[in-house]
Amino acid sequence: MTAPKVAVLFGFGINCDHETAAVFNLVGGDAERIHVNHFVSGNRVLEEFEILAVPGGFSFGDHLGSGRLMGNRMRFALREQLHAFVAAGKPIIGICNGFQVLVKTGLLPGPSADQPLPDFVQRASLTLNDSGRYEDRWVTLEFDEHSPCIWTKGIQRIDCPVRHGEGKFVMPSSTDFDALAANHQLTVRYVDPATKPGQGISDQPLPFPLSPNGSMRNIAGICDATGLVFGLMPHPEAVYAKWLHPDHTRKTAPGPLDSDALGEWEGEGLQMFRNAVEYVLSKR
Amino acid sequence: MAVTRVEVTPKQGEGMRDVRGDVIRRQLKADHNIDVGEVRSINGFLIKSNTEKADIASRVNDLFADPIIEDALTDELFLTSSEHFPTTPDAVITIGFKPGVTDNPGSAAYDGFQTIFPQPDLVDASISTYHTYAFFGLPETITTEWLASTLHNNLIQRAVLADSTACSNAQWPAIDYPEKPPQTLTPPQRMDLEISDEALLSLSDTGLLALNLEEMQTIQAHYRDETIRQSRASVGIVPDAPTDVELECLAQTWSEHCKHKIFASKIHHIDSETGEDTYIDSIFKTHIMKPTHDLQKEVDWLLSVFHDNSGVIAWNEEWSVCMKAETHNSPSALDPYGGAMTGIVGVNRDILGTGLGARPIANTDVFCFGPPNWDGELPDNLFHPSRVFRGVHAGVRVGGNESGIPTVNGAIVFDDRYIGKPLVYCGTVGIMPRKLPDGRESHIKTPTAGDVVYMVGGRVGYDGIHGATFSSLELTEESPSSAVQIGDPITQKKMLDMVLEARDAGLISCITDNGAGGLSSSIGEMAEYTNGCEIDLEKVPLKQPGLSAWEILVSESQERMTIAVRPEDCAAFDAMAALHEVEATPVATFTNTGMFHVKYGEDTVAYLSIEFLHDGVPQLQLESEWRTPTPEQFNPESIQLPQEGHSELLLRMLARPNIASKESWVRQYDHEVIAQTAVKPFVGVHRDGPGDAGVIAPLHGDPHGLVISCGIAPRYSDLDAGAMAAASIDEAVRNAVCAGINVDKMAGLDNFCWPDSIESAKTPDGKFKLAQLVRANRELERVCRAYKLPCVSGKDSMKNDYGTGENKISIPPTLLYSVFGDQPDVRFTATSDFKNPGEKIYLIGESKEELGASEIAFMLHESGEAAGIGGQVPLLPNPERNLTTYRALSTAIQAGLIRTAHDCSEGGVAVAAAEMCIGGRVGAEIDIDGTGESSDWSRLWGESLGRFIVGVQPEDEADFVEWMSGHPITLLGTVNDSDKLSIVDGYDTLIEAATDSMVDAWQKTLDMTGGVA
Repeated sequence: MTAPKVAVLFGFGINCDHETAAVFNLVGGDAERIHVNHFVSGNRVLEEFEILAVPGGFSFGDHLGSGRLMGNRMRFALREQLHAFVAAGKPIIGICNGFQVLVKTGLLPGPSADQPLPDFVQRASLTLNDSGRYEDRWVTLEFDEHSPCIWTKGIQRIDCPVRHGEGKFVMPSSTDFDALAANHQLTVRYVDPATKPGQGISDQPLPFPLSPNGSMRNIAGICDATGLVFGLMPHPEAVYAKWLHPDHTRKTAPGPLDSDALGEWEGEGLQMFRNAVEYVLSKR
Repeated sequence: MAVTRVEVTPKQGEGMRDVRGDVIRRQLKADHNIDVGEVRSINGFLIKSNTEKADIASRVNDLFADPIIEDALTDELFLTSSEHFPTTPDAVITIGFKPGVTDNPGSAAYDGFQTIFPQPDLVDASISTYHTYAFFGLPETITTEWLASTLHNNLIQRAVLADSTACSNAQWPAIDYPEKPPQTLTPPQRMDLEISDEALLSLSDTGLLALNLEEMQTIQAHYRDETIRQSRASVGIVPDAPTDVELECLAQTWSEHCKHKIFASKIHHIDSETGEDTYIDSIFKTHIMKPTHDLQKEVDWLLSVFHDNSGVIAWNEEWSVCMKAETHNSPSALDPYGGAMTGIVGVNRDILGTGLGARPIANTDVFCFGPPNWDGELPDNLFHPSRVFRGVHAGVRVGGNESGIPTVNGAIVFDDRYIGKPLVYCGTVGIMPRKLPDGRESHIKTPTAGDVVYMVGGRVGYDGIHGATFSSLELTEESPSSAVQIGDPITQKKMLDMVLEARDAGLISCITDNGAGGLSSSIGEMAEYTNGCEIDLEKVPLKQPGLSAWEILVSESQERMTIAVRPEDCAAFDAMAALHEVEATPVATFTNTGMFHVKYGEDTVAYLSIEFLHDGVPQLQLESEWRTPTPEQFNPESIQLPQEGHSELLLRMLARPNIASKESWVRQYDHEVIAQTAVKPFVGVHRDGPGDAGVIAPLHGDPHGLVISCGIAPRYSDLDAGAMAAASIDEAVRNAVCAGINVDKMAGLDNFCWPDSIESAKTPDGKFKLAQLVRANRELERVCRAYKLPCVSGKDSMKNDYGTGENKISIPPTLLYSVFGDQPDVRFTATSDFKNPGEKIYLIGESKEELGASEIAFMLHESGEAAGIGGQVPLLPNPERNLTTYRALSTAIQAGLIRTAHDCSEGGVAVAAAEMCIGGRVGAEIDIDGTGESSDWSRLWGESLGRFIVGVQPEDEADFVEWMSGHPITLLGTVNDSDKLSIVDGYDTLIEAATDSMVDAWQKTLDMTGGVA
């Protein structure tokens, strides 16, 4: 079977495009870094691809709010293409700035469970961290095992870096928020690593730095009602290998590297990307 | 065109927070101990366009405001709205940019505005931004004017205020659109040089040319040459005198900044102690270039040294890596934020401009500041060190983070004298494929006459005129504001994406960055390859019309590369630029005429031979005289130990700004974008122990690594700048060894920052300062030869002084030495944190009687407990032997035998051991008996070079001892779970310190965040 084609957007200040493309390739995807304007101008079409990734970065310098100007470009220029992409059952991931972009285009959290296709209405936001600072620090994440999210199947808890200044998830309407919770769209939360895996998730805001930004209900990432569109502030691609984990010199080194795969050196972040590739293959 | 005002403010209510306002509140507390009840913020946009106000108002939530979290008002000030501001504030301050200053949020907003309201053919439409802060519960002692002065820099910003009276009368500040004053295009002037010597010098001074009399006379003589006059007449340019364009161009090209005239000078050096009396023909050629070229004959991996924008080494069969470090000191003194940001994005361009273009993959930042808690006098026009620190840090943070380049290594050093001039070193590592798809080797530029020369990226403006010459002068109260710029990382990022695509498509024949000297330097330097160029300044895109020819030629406006493209590739290059929305304009062609030929439309405005331009500057003749400084001695025996003895000294040492944790600052840099950073700046169980070096694995999926480290030891210059240089290099190498660098494949960068060292009325001690430079370079050569460490690139900044006469402040002579090199496998590296109880602790190297200029001596001298800092400075008598020890340790790390290693420098064994306990959150018992013949003070606090502390698991101890046989190692003790560090000397207990109290002392000093909420 041919490897699923993955479009990894870049341009205008997106800057995690290289590693995001690399991790898809490590799990059997066929990733192409592709400039946003290729889709805007129409000389390439989203339809060519089976997975879309909006990587992290500082699109347009995050001026006027993170992800906003890139979100606008996509909302105005790629509206039909994005709608068709989701309607065709193809997965989309937004990481960090990409998550911010998906929230501001309205793709996340998206409309209700009974009308799941995109309507491009913004319902939530990601705003300045309570600390007022951009920070790069490692956090512990736990996933809702009942989430419809196709990206997070079988993942319970991982360590990841966050690298953002505007990662505080806010959703003013608690009714909407509760609806997302009921539908298990609150896919991933910041948790206290001292809790038992599987028991870390809580709606009570955790103190800094366990929650690095003061997100409502400790939200680190959410999915839409279809489970296809997923976004998160932390960077799973940044822990594709164990040697990128800050504790790796504190552990006994695992076995040797396989010649064509990471083997025992695979990091906790890679499974998410493998899930999407396998999902696409399973639907063929 | 009409100007429409839009204001945006955060919504109030459950779970909402005005973070921007709150950051101001916390900073006032942290920096000035002022308690303000609340600060609220408003973002303002002044939109100059032909779009109707009502249309803009209907779309504010699509662009300016995020309707989930913000409210917006069009053409109305929020402060007039009692709905949003029910309480009257005590003060309101609005801050906007001055005309012509780079406004990045404004440009981004305008880009977004055009998505919604296309503004075709309107060159003048734009958006200007401002911030308003409203203060509630402001202490009455605080004046609005003072508050405003702490919040803005009047060199680049404007502030409009409302004090409490104005507030109670509802007189709110309404800042207006910063209309640029019109520029008048002055045609090229004839600059008469047939004038007296005094007049020549005065012309150089008033014109900010920074040329000395001999240089002015050389130019004068050039225009007296009959052949030159005839050839000039033939192209229709004034024959017997330079145009202003030519004089400016020569001043830039011949500036100390570009030509490194002191490093190239002929020095008469006298050593009053040894009786030495010699001449040195160029320190650079003698002590830096020659040793590196000698090494180049021994190894096959030195691909490109000295002549390009950065030095290039072969890393593996397919990839080469390069590194460059720069300083941006003068601009950072005037505008810390903008100066530092242009520093980092500028050095990124050096990498992009190396060979046929390299990708920047890692940054390093090293800063030298005055003490952040300084409470002494400040000279006029200088900022408080804490403000410099905040601004520089923010500039580097924004520049690096937004460019997507991780900051993997750095340092921050404090000394009172850096109040006069902060040092802002920014370094960047790059990577490039050794061969391009078309088969060309990427480290070699391939220009030919006929190639079209493009200016790519930003436009040229009035900003940044005279940066190169300005940085070659001392800072004064009258330093020009045009020398300050603010970088634009997003414009640069777009350009970088595009340039690397163009490189891989084989479209680039030559590339360099536009930095100091602007187009005159970038095209001028590249024109040496083909021996000529012809530039048309009229084609250069401008930020505003009306710039004169000389201004266009020398302006250092940022975010520009100069790229040569073969004529047949121009169409493809243009298309690529259009896709990336990058402006690329052909402005010149390469020729082989031997001439640097500049036109403005049809008129020739400069006509200089390439040879005169680049090689015409006369060699300086300088005097150097060494005498050993004789400061008051640091004598431990006469020191009255405090009540808690050395334990108390340890906590005080850990809290010293030079030693204290910089984590709250460093964590604000992205240090792991690109997913390659295998050893991060902070390590250990809570990821808050010090990292020694950055380690990256840049090829995804492959653990082959690179180490990046640095060393800096300016304190030692107070005794001997030679020892300072040796210590800097040794520290950089030791840091890299701790990470497991391959010592047989490492390269270095020398970045000198010196005070003015040319004897003159302004600098009566110039001979001594030059002798310091001579000694530093001699040590640099000696140590680098011994370590087989080629200096592949470097830079010097030679005028780091403030003021003149009695009030003059000169920085301590400072060498930053950076090392980058091969790390065979990042899975096998070491970090400084102790790993677990039972781990055995060894000292590698010997502790000698070397307390001169040590951190402990400075601390006790500053507190009045010690008479001075004098004494024996740490020396490096046998570097060849050190290298064999370093190789043994590094290979032990690569073999997985050692997972814990820390360099032993500031504060000696005591501080290094404390830091290792902090990283591991463990205790340790250490005996310093037998670590050398020296006194207990020296073995505890001394900073002898060549030392490490390592941890080894008990089961590996025998192997380790055998591995290191023949090298100086001493068992120090064992890691334990006592949660305290005990250091004894035989039967005497010297230090007992709880790990928690060490953590507290180490982390508090420089946490200037004011907390989280």
